[in-house]
Amino acid sequence: MTTIVGILCKDGVVLSSDRRASKGFFIGSKITQKILRIDDSLAVAIAGQVSDAEYLVNAVRAERALVTLQRGYPLTVKETTKLISNVAYQGMKSYQPYFAEFIVAGVDATSPHVYVTDMSGSVSAENFVSSGSGSPIAYGVLESNYKENMTIEQARILGTNAVQAAMERDPGSGDGIDVVAIASALLIKEVKVA
Amino acid sequence: MESQQLGRMPYFYGPEGALVQVDFALEAVNRGSTTIGIRTDEYAILASQLKPTRALVDPAEKIYQIDEHLGATGAGYIGDVMKLIQELRLQAQKHRLTFDSPVDVKTASEELSSYLHQYTLYAVRPLGASIIIAGRDPLGLQMYQVDPSGTYFRGSGFAIGSGSERSLEVIQRGYKPNMPLEELVNLGTTAIKTVTQDESQIEFGLVSNTTSRFEKLTSPIPTVR
Repeated sequence: MTTIVGILCKDGVVLSSDRRASKGFFIGSKITQKILRIDDSLAVAIAGQVSDAEYLVNAVRAERALVTLQRGYPLTVKETTKLISNVAYQGMKSYQPYFAEFIVAGVDATSPHVYVTDMSGSVSAENFVSSGSGSPIAYGVLESNYKENMTIEQARILGTNAVQAAMERDPGSGDGIDVVAIASALLIKEVKVA
Repeated sequence: MESQQLGRMPYFYGPEGALVQVDFALEAVNRGSTTIGIRTDEYAILASQLKPTRALVDPAEKIYQIDEHLGATGAGYIGDVMKLIQELRLQAQKHRLTFDSPVDVKTASEELSSYLHQYTLYAVRPLGASIIIAGRDPLGLQMYQVDPSGTYFRGSGFAIGSGSERSLEVIQRGYKPNMPLEELVNLGTTAIKTVTQDESQIEFGLVSNTTSRFEKLTSPIPTVR
């Protein structure tokens, strides 16, 4: 269930999601947060089993903090995604998969990035991406309206529209939209290494 | 051995609080071949004396490629040096598999440091080798020295092996942060020749800020003969 969307912009990244948590044909929650903050420069949108997804995100948040302290500069967005995918891959191979998909979006020393990783452990960099039961509908909106080098404001509207369209026809998605934007300009000085 | 006379096991603290085994390991490093590292704004070089061997025997390699952006050299028991080099190479590849990125110099040095530290805790022989690591990462050009105790230093000038104190003095006197490559290599050569005072060969490794690659400068061992 769920609809989540990630969009790469020229000045940052945008994540959007619905707020519905389903328990089969029952709506378990109408105020679920599906976009999780890792730190000021990185957020993860989750789809699938909430417990599996939150467990991995918490583990990666801790690992990211440890690595930043130990080497003196933070993990890149790609490195962070790889940490999630390593565990997901091991899960799949040991027949105890993590039933979740992750859109990892953030800004590192070089630029903004959007990555997606799934329960098989594959990692891919994307300009825009959607996941969850509403994603086929969201992709309809994204495919016809995404342009390269969008601003955060343009991507915010596109992300909202994509999730809105999915909520209209996908029974697994609904109950309002959350949007998170991470702007390079606010961070790049802070994140940039000496 | 003094500690045995006092009825102590040699791998515990001595009466003065010194880890006697570790002190002996450091002493073994001081008998090794003279080995230096110098880091300037643009370059970091590693240099090591190749001990002359018997006729028909090639001298052992002393400058080691760890990864594309990372190199190392060492002094002490060559077998122990090789073991530590293998550990560094292993950690560099593990980092690539885990993070899909090259390991940073500090992390590589810390991995080696904690590996060496294990040998100071148990009834084993601490490795008799110090290592100098040079490389380029997102923080810039970096150089570290790691000792048998597990201690590591970050810096711009290191010397280990026999005569290392005099060798380091030469480096300290001649060091300029903006010296050109030729002058830098000359300083490294002088630092080693002052101590060795013979015609033994020197092997060089270089990592530059612009290329971000570590490479051995010349191979004194011909590959075809």
